[in-house]
Amino acid sequence: MPIIETKDLTYTYQGATKPSIREVSIKIEKGEFVILTGPSGCGKTTLCRCFNGLIPHFYTGTLNGTINVANLDVTKHQIHELARHVGFVFQNPENQLFALSVEKDVAFALENLGTPRAEMQERIEWALKAVGAYELRERAPHELSGGQQQRVAIASVLAMQPNVMILDEPTSFLDPLTAKKIFEVIAELNEQLGITVILVEHRLDLTAQYADHVIIMDEGKVVLDGNPRDIFNSEEARLIGVGIPKATRLFQILKEDGINIKSVPISSAEAAKALRRILKHD
Amino acid sequence: MSMFSGFQFRKISTPIHNLDPRIKFIFVIVIFAVAIMFNEFLVLVVLFFAHIPIVLVAKVQREWIRSMRGAAFLATIIFVTNLVFSYIYGGYQLAPWILENAIALTLRFVVLVESFSIFFLTTSPDHLGLALEQSHIPYEFCFAFTTAVRFVPVLAEEAQTIMDAQKARGLELEKGNFLKRIRNYIPILIPLIVSAIRRSLELAEAMESKAWGAIKKRTNLYELKVRKGDYILITLTIVMLIIAVYVRLYLSIPSLTSLISH
Ligand SMILES: Nc1ncnc2c1ncn2[C@@H]1O[C@H](COP(=O)(O)OP(=O)(O)OP(=O)(O)O)[C@@H](O)[C@H]1O
Ligand SMILES: [Mg+2]
Repeated sequence: MPIIETKDLTYTYQGATKPSIREVSIKIEKGEFVILTGPSGCGKTTLCRCFNGLIPHFYTGTLNGTINVANLDVTKHQIHELARHVGFVFQNPENQLFALSVEKDVAFALENLGTPRAEMQERIEWALKAVGAYELRERAPHELSGGQQQRVAIASVLAMQPNVMILDEPTSFLDPLTAKKIFEVIAELNEQLGITVILVEHRLDLTAQYADHVIIMDEGKVVLDGNPRDIFNSEEARLIGVGIPKATRLFQILKEDGINIKSVPISSAEAAKALRRILKHD
Repeated sequence: MSMFSGFQFRKISTPIHNLDPRIKFIFVIVIFAVAIMFNEFLVLVVLFFAHIPIVLVAKVQREWIRSMRGAAFLATIIFVTNLVFSYIYGGYQLAPWILENAIALTLRFVVLVESFSIFFLTTSPDHLGLALEQSHIPYEFCFAFTTAVRFVPVLAEEAQTIMDAQKARGLELEKGNFLKRIRNYIPILIPLIVSAIRRSLELAEAMESKAWGAIKKRTNLYELKVRKGDYILITLTIVMLIIAVYVRLYLSIPSLTSLISH
């Protein structure tokens, strides 16, 4: 039983002339690490908004097709009901922290859900420790760096203990090293807590290694959907203009030159290992 | 602006900072009431100096001095106007009591600024929001209050960035007459407003995603507790109010001028 399933999902924003996503039919299994990517404006954010009910409850417009998340029909359940199952981390960390202290921000969703104080304190401590931001708990959000803010934003969603966590380009405001650390935090949540992760991302070099499942969109449609190795190695992915991992690209170029690496590498570590093996052979 | 910088909160922990903001607020209101009840110089001077121990315990002397300095300009205006009017009113005679009266009225203003400034200097916005919440003010208002405080530094920074960007494109802010100068600020205001609107949409989206409005009675991470210090303060406040009312009704306070001339 997939945790997210859509069938022929088509959505047009209020006042828009054409749909932003078209006939999207996908299945996401529990515990998967999904990377959703595609050129700018292809509808990734729009699709994610459907997963937690922002579409159709916050953004009105016309939604056709069916969408079920954690056995709930998204069109029939309020955003706050879905929030117990699906957490959403947005692109700009600054605009998802509203309180005057980190602790209070992580508490926000729990307060909204009426969590008793003692349990709230436990969960805040746990969530902040999970993202490595526990020392920051008394600081004010504007005193934090972008990377710290994004950690706190992730903790504030994690505190709700969602089954699914959507992260929409969570590192686009951050430098590569900080981004890498954030990805490691996300991968840990996926591996150790079994949280289903849907990560919208362009930086595939840093993230491809964690993925179990890749979905590539273009002009509102899902064009590729499946196993990361097959997809990154496919001709289509390259033509759409997705920045496929450099390791995979290297493999393709070597292959054209007649050097064959058995399995498709998707991270530099894998590529290095394969190359070492070949070099030893020669 | 300088008067407002005397209201800026700095995070430290002192007995004054740890008081319940609601009780501190009642204290400020009573000071207010007393300052309005009396226009005698002697009382207002006592009120003014009574704040100094509080300032010292709260370790906000520097900010306090800044706020007093900020108030100086308005205080001077009040002083001069009072002096001039009572001079004209009193038949163009400059008696010492006229001077005393003008000083007293100026002091009244200074005391008001002083107690408000101490309140804001020693109360974290977070505590203030919490106090609002626990005073049964609808949560939406309290949230709007703390969020506004939260975004003040962010918007200030943004305004600065926009200003720099527009200046780099050749916008001259300091050019032209008064009206022209105001108009110069339009290229700064419009991007600032547009970005604030976009920001508020993003905020709304994030709030919704965090179960905003899930249940009617939300819980709160913190709880304000009335402690020993608060009981002391409220007792002092009540005693002060009673004494003030008693003195006002049954005693007459001599003016400094009459004391000296005796
Ligand atoms: N609130 C909105 N109202 C109307 N149209 C919108 C809205 N948000 C997005 N769109 C449109 O929907 C389409 C898909 O946008 P979306 O934000 O989902 O793309 P994206 O893949 O997330 O892009 P990016 O990588 O730049 O974030 C775009 O053509 C965009 O103009
Ligand atoms: Mg997007």
